[in-house]
Amino acid sequence: MDIAQIDSILSSHAGKPDRLVEVLQDIQDIYNYLPEKALWKVSETLGAPVIEVFRVANFYKAFSLQQRGRHLITLCMGTACHVRGAPRFIDEIKGRLNINPGETSCDKSFTVETVNCVGACALGPVVIMNGEYHDHMTSLKLRKMIEETEEKDKENAINGEDKHS
Amino acid sequence: MSDYVTLTINGSNIRVPKGTNVLDAALEYGICIPHLCHMSDLTPIGACRLCIVEVVENGKSEVTASCTLEAKEGMTILAHTDKILKARKNIAEMLVAEAPNSRAIQDVAVRCGVTEVRFPFRNKNCVLCGRCIRVCSEVWQANALGFVGRGKDRHVALPFHNRPEFCKRCWSCLEVCPMTITPCDGPMKEGEEYFCGKCESQLTMALGSIDTCVQCRLGAGFGCLRAEPEK
Ligand code: SF4
Ligand code: SF4
Ligand code: FES
Repeated sequence: MDIAQIDSILSSHAGKPDRLVEVLQDIQDIYNYLPEKALWKVSETLGAPVIEVFRVANFYKAFSLQQRGRHLITLCMGTACHVRGAPRFIDEIKGRLNINPGETSCDKSFTVETVNCVGACALGPVVIMNGEYHDHMTSLKLRKMIEETEEKDKENAINGEDKHS
Repeated sequence: MSDYVTLTINGSNIRVPKGTNVLDAALEYGICIPHLCHMSDLTPIGACRLCIVEVVENGKSEVTASCTLEAKEGMTILAHTDKILKARKNIAEMLVAEAPNSRAIQDVAVRCGVTEVRFPFRNKNCVLCGRCIRVCSEVWQANALGFVGRGKDRHVALPFHNRPEFCKRCWSCLEVCPMTITPCDGPMKEGEEYFCGKCESQLTMALGSIDTCVQCRLGAGFGCLRAEPEK
């Protein structure tokens, strides 16, 4: 991890503890999570106690303190999605990727999260894959989606290697 | 300095410096209001609700926590009405259910007249009173502790769950925690919790737990030295 990257984010907020959330968002954008080292630096530069940084990082669901996968699958578990079978997606993912909500697969390719409602109840069950909303999901569709993403990843990896050689 | 306010608590005229909270004002004058989370010199946060009182205004009364209530000129406070005593008893009862392993809490409950606990025991090891956090940040300026998480997951934590370099190892956080002394019979196992409250010695315990209801000789009507005479 290249910690120097956050210097540019922090430089304009030095000594301003009220910019905390903003800064954390920017850092999360770079790394996809909030590395501990970065948070110590944030605390130092902004002049906010590190416990405060930790507290805020824990408070918002949008922040993660654990390293996340390249792809984020968000399952809506709101009432409407729930009654339409969203809990089955958890089993599907458990079976396919062997991870529970909140966890990241060992190869760091997928992270699965649940949210309580995304406000699109009429379209439920809703699954969000890397920020893209998918309506009326079924286990089958979800499985296909995961498989396709894995395929794409593989292709990219091969192409990437080609480029390097 | 002439910045004083006069208020009445339980009918007594009380004069305190402006900015004092009602709980401190009452304690200063020997009117005992049971409390748990508040420590004089620390910012009150109103976490335990034991210190509730009635504020009478225009013939109407409102129940609120006295530690977070600033004393104002002409205020009328009733600290021990039947309504309050009943509510306070319930709160104390809930606190015991939450954390039966704290001698301080068992003790406060005895003083608040609790005789049985009707709620399911949870046996938690923290009641989120925030004393540790405040003593750490306000007295020691260390900021090594904080509330982390929200809702039912809220808990006291160190940054990244590790003791940081800058923690002063003063252990004040432990000293002020109402959970550090267990009832006489030792820690209760999960599923075997009970309301203690059987012996008088309960009332003299927890000298190490400064400023809980226990040591500050609180508890009007429970035979405490500073308590006001019975009406
Ligand atoms: S021991 Fe550390 S965490 Fe506890 S009050 Fe002292 S400085 Fe704070
Ligand atoms: S650890 Fe102790 S002092 Fe700190 S909030 Fe919990 S009960 Fe209160
Ligand atoms: S709420 Fe006032 S002492 Fe706890």
